[in-house]
Amino acid sequence: MSESSSARITLTSEQETAAAPAAAPASGPTKRRRRRSGGRGLLILGLVMLTVMTVVTVCGSWIAPYDPTKTSAESLSGPSSAHWLGTDSIGRDVLSRLIIGGRTTLLIALIAVALAVAAGLLLGLLSGYLGGVVDQIVMRALDVVFAFPVFLLAIAVVAALGPTVPNLILTIAIVYTPIMARVVRGPVLSVKRLDHVEAARSIGIREVTIVRRHVLPMVISPVLVETSLTLSHTIFTVTALSFLGLGPPPPDPNWGGMLSEARQFMEIAPLTVIGPAAAIVFATLTFIVLANGLREMLDVAGRS
Amino acid sequence: MRRVALVRLAWAVPILLGVSLVAFVLMRALPGDFAQAMAGTAAGVTPEFLDSIRADLGLNQPLWQQYFTWLGHALQGDLGTSFVTKRPVTGELFSRLLVTAELTLIAAVMAMLIGVTTGLVSARLRGRADWIIRGFNGLVVAVPNFVVATLIVLLAGLYLPSLGIFNYTPFATDPLANIGSMLLPALSLGLGVSVTISENTRAAVLEVSSQDYVMVAQAKGLRKRTILRNYLVKNALTPVITVTGLQVAALLGGSILIETIFTIPGMGQFLFDSVTSRDYPVVQGVVLITATVVVLVNVLVDIAYARVDARVSYE
Repeated sequence: MSESSSARITLTSEQETAAAPAAAPASGPTKRRRRRSGGRGLLILGLVMLTVMTVVTVCGSWIAPYDPTKTSAESLSGPSSAHWLGTDSIGRDVLSRLIIGGRTTLLIALIAVALAVAAGLLLGLLSGYLGGVVDQIVMRALDVVFAFPVFLLAIAVVAALGPTVPNLILTIAIVYTPIMARVVRGPVLSVKRLDHVEAARSIGIREVTIVRRHVLPMVISPVLVETSLTLSHTIFTVTALSFLGLGPPPPDPNWGGMLSEARQFMEIAPLTVIGPAAAIVFATLTFIVLANGLREMLDVAGRS
Repeated sequence: MRRVALVRLAWAVPILLGVSLVAFVLMRALPGDFAQAMAGTAAGVTPEFLDSIRADLGLNQPLWQQYFTWLGHALQGDLGTSFVTKRPVTGELFSRLLVTAELTLIAAVMAMLIGVTTGLVSARLRGRADWIIRGFNGLVVAVPNFVVATLIVLLAGLYLPSLGIFNYTPFATDPLANIGSMLLPALSLGLGVSVTISENTRAAVLEVSSQDYVMVAQAKGLRKRTILRNYLVKNALTPVITVTGLQVAALLGGSILIETIFTIPGMGQFLFDSVTSRDYPVVQGVVLITATVVVLVNVLVDIAYARVDARVSYE
């Protein structure tokens, strides 16, 4: 995954097929049926991976064999029965640090995405449903934000605010809100012209109620898929920022920081690099698999 | 055609203005005092000295006036002075932009080659080849570029320690060695993008394959290779080019990490160093230039797209 926009661009270009008739994959009825059955497998796989990750993260304190911040004299010892993944340069148990380190990373990603989804839903619904001037203003503002590579913006904002956990959450929420807003706005534009929405309006139901009861449920599927995808992107962003030393402050472990620290001695102790690398890949893969499974089950337009 | 180009360029102007506003606000919204940051924490910084810096930078003027002054300077190519080196930001930024541009270009070419090849193979052969490529893509897309880069460095360090490919050589000293030292960084940068290109190529080729004119070509007995070359590749690659252009932002963002890992003196590394030393004019300069490049590339992609595909038009 190169920066998070790889999938983001694909999705947004999907939303804007009206403006640019770019590639849209052919999916005949037979193909669609086959894809959906494949989707169930993916979804189950994703849920299993998610469960494993959640259990390990939540029960981390009981599972971790050692205190993740406790140093010892045996530094960079290879894998042994005492330390399954060896120890790092100041003698801390790598496995314990991996288990506990996931907590910070995942917590930041989860809260940030929840905020981004909430803000993005609000913006996207407002912009798409109201249309007109509001829509124009929001969309032009989003155009500006999209000119910045996500990761560049994240670095600049974190640098300005200072790298603490709340600031990281805020930064990531800010950076991903526009993407969410765009994902919501697309379907809202078509849903608001549907008959049942027109009908609701004609019998004088309040606009807020229409949006909540008749528009929102119809855009929930793409939002669900995008949320899962965004989670994988935020894990990338959090770990990448930590990798550059802009993550949660030490000594508490986090995956990106561990990977970065381990690079110095990686030829002596390759496991100290492979451990966090595998953890990061597992976490991002979980949400990508989940997103693809959801997309095919819910039959949301878009590509993997 | 010319109208499309003009319209797109005109559209870019307000976006670029917005971009400059964001870059400006990012700087001025900093907690703490800008003048304090500029003076550093050295002893002997008196309140009078801080006041003189404020007057110098025009920080005592209203914000909108500061913005326009700054924008005016930026338009003339003056992005201010680095806090650390005390030299103009623009000169340094430009030489680093060239390095990043080279890295990004090589990465884009690699991503194109890998992506289009695997996408074509995937769509034409189907069956097992399709399966393997898509599985590989599915896995690669989950591996962040800095992890790819770290693993490449690890593998090379373990198995090919004599290679010495990680010593960046300036282009002026030795062009060949320079390109050689860029290959692995470019690969780690482009690998993720190649997946997007691969999936898009596959989808586009499958779409074009089911078109009537391809069926006609088959029915009249054209050779498979001729059909592939004259019908499939030509029509399928148009959207692929667009997708690749849109990935420039991703590549530029990723180059920050890759340059830091491989110690390539590009814009990303410049940004990273400046972030750690709180050298805000540099951060602002990099943010502004990168976003400008992204906007301009997107305009170029749009224009190129309109040139290739006559159906595209803008009112």
